[in-house]
Amino acid sequence: MNPLNIAVIVKLEPDFSEGNVSYNSDGTLNRAETKSILGPHSAVASRAAFYSKVKYGAHISVSTMGPPIADFALQQAQLICDADELHLYSDRIFAGADTLATAEVLKTGIGKMEGGKMDIVFSGHRASDGETGQTGPQTAWKLGYTFLGNVIDYDVDIEKQTVIAKRLITLQGFYDIIEEVEAPLPVFITIDPSYKSEFNTISQRLAFAKYQKEATERAQNYKKYLKIFNAQQLGVDPKFVGLPGSPTIVYKVEKIPKAKASRKAEIINGSDRDQIRKVFAKIHDVLGGIIIK
Amino acid sequence: MTVITSEDGHYKHLFVIIEHEEGKPIPVSLEMLGEARRLMDHFNKKYSSHEKVVAIVLGNKVRKLCEELIFYGADAVIYAEDPELQYPRNIIDTKIISQIAMNRECIAKISPEDWEQFKKPRYMFFAADNIGRHLSSTVLAELESGLASDINKLVVEDLEIKHEHKTKGQMMTYAKTLEMYRPDFSGFLWTTILCLDNRNPTIERDYHPQACSIIPGVFAPLVPDAARNGIIVDYTPRIEKQDLNVKILNRKIIKSAVDFDVHKAIISFGRGIKDSPEENIKLIEELAKELDAEVGVSLPISKKPYVTSEKITSTYMIPDRVIGTSGRKVSPLLYIAVGISGAMQHTAGMKESEFVIAINTDENSPIKDECDIFIKGRMEDVIPVMIEELRKQKELIMGVRSK
Repeated sequence: MNPLNIAVIVKLEPDFSEGNVSYNSDGTLNRAETKSILGPHSAVASRAAFYSKVKYGAHISVSTMGPPIADFALQQAQLICDADELHLYSDRIFAGADTLATAEVLKTGIGKMEGGKMDIVFSGHRASDGETGQTGPQTAWKLGYTFLGNVIDYDVDIEKQTVIAKRLITLQGFYDIIEEVEAPLPVFITIDPSYKSEFNTISQRLAFAKYQKEATERAQNYKKYLKIFNAQQLGVDPKFVGLPGSPTIVYKVEKIPKAKASRKAEIINGSDRDQIRKVFAKIHDVLGGIIIK
Repeated sequence: MTVITSEDGHYKHLFVIIEHEEGKPIPVSLEMLGEARRLMDHFNKKYSSHEKVVAIVLGNKVRKLCEELIFYGADAVIYAEDPELQYPRNIIDTKIISQIAMNRECIAKISPEDWEQFKKPRYMFFAADNIGRHLSSTVLAELESGLASDINKLVVEDLEIKHEHKTKGQMMTYAKTLEMYRPDFSGFLWTTILCLDNRNPTIERDYHPQACSIIPGVFAPLVPDAARNGIIVDYTPRIEKQDLNVKILNRKIIKSAVDFDVHKAIISFGRGIKDSPEENIKLIEELAKELDAEVGVSLPISKKPYVTSEKITSTYMIPDRVIGTSGRKVSPLLYIAVGISGAMQHTAGMKESEFVIAINTDENSPIKDECDIFIKGRMEDVIPVMIEELRKQKELIMGVRSK
């Protein structure tokens, strides 16, 4: 039987960790001063793919659309999932794409991966800069794959060629639901941030160690695995990518106007113990007593 | 200047995709209807037209819900009922919603005067939650039009647009354009997204509907009015076997580990903890324990920006604790904001708290306008004093009781 073919789509994003992120004085992100890394949700998607490598010996391809420096995200993803192949889709005409135009590039790229037809494609929950969460499902739809969102756990039934997955559904102002579903391959999965992979058997742990070692070696020589495609090499129609292929545009960006003061604050000096004591009298009133346990 | 207005009747009405659990509407569904009603009332007045707010419902035994949606502001409801539609499933739901969005017979029943020209809805609303976010993406991929996510303000305007690609650099009027405002991840910037037809002859293309997903908890629902009338249309969907290949094996309702609703008090922290994150979070934890409060965080904290112990990171720096437009909306009796600057994205989630205390070093931070008491100082200095005073008071009370 052929091994499972797995694709992961990832994104290079600003690094929001302290020391790397830089904010302007008005609270907005200073992009020029902020480093870029593999997005945290892309990292989770890569971990989910690695699970299939360890458990089923899957063949993994990782792809991204972005400027040439986005190969760094691919390298970081390879380090996590021991990818066999890395794809970078990079062309000036891709710039400014909205989610639909991005999905067009990613879909076309997935069709060019080594394994041929994919069994599972993974993407992250959402990008930490764009935060739309739309690119994954739109790529899935263009591929014609069954889409499973917010997946927190999955396994493949190789015999039946199905995936069994748990999904976390959070509905604002309502309860949360965990839904267990079964779907025939191929599927497109967006991985929930809470996903954790577990390797329980000795053979899985051995495989884990083996592939992790391999991943480290591969990522050191990631260029050996890297294929770069421009629009022409990818064979996309320029009308459907980048700005021309984007239904939406950013019309304007403005500072969110300061809301009218909704409350009038009493200002208290934090080093004045008497005043802080008075705050507790207030808390006492509001809570109808202070809870004593 | 060229004026093309798309006023040939191909694109009409505002469709609102309703989410519900077994016939009970999710709050955001009613919020979307409220905003749709306000927007289309304004639209119809401005353009002397009669375009409708059309709610779309998929499910099993949803007739009663349809009636309820009329009370909440819909002019019409198109529903598809089938046991297979009991719970949301992306593929089949996407296909049926797309069928309905292009179905002239349904529109003929709702708006008999202009159905012949109808191609697709003018506007479309989805919920920006776990279901709607994905559903909106796939529906708009199927309808091949534009989608903006996480919107919290909507305006319809006639806009003068000059765009390199859309208009080939010419100034053109785009009538009845939906301005979709979305707060960015920082909560300080507002980006307006437009979905515009390509009028540039080399890439000419219609992009309708103009669609968006709407942040739950932002817009107010209407007060339901049982005297409101509307048209309810039963749509029989075309369901193909391969569209049902996702089997739901089981569905379990779970309680989130973080439950803000059972606590009278909430203490939230933001990037102000940065000088010594581990120690500061422990202080906040201690104060929360003394006040029997639940702990919340601002959105940046859920991105785990600091190196802290595994326990602190996995307990506190998680999306489940986020309060604001990207997380939960809360209204406790007491809300304490520690080291939170007060971006709109956060305050939208805590505005309705009964009493708000902010602890912050910067008197100019926006949180000052959202609190009742502003304690100016470093949390490292203020919180230990608070804990100490609180313990003293408790001892006092205990002492009185034991006498």
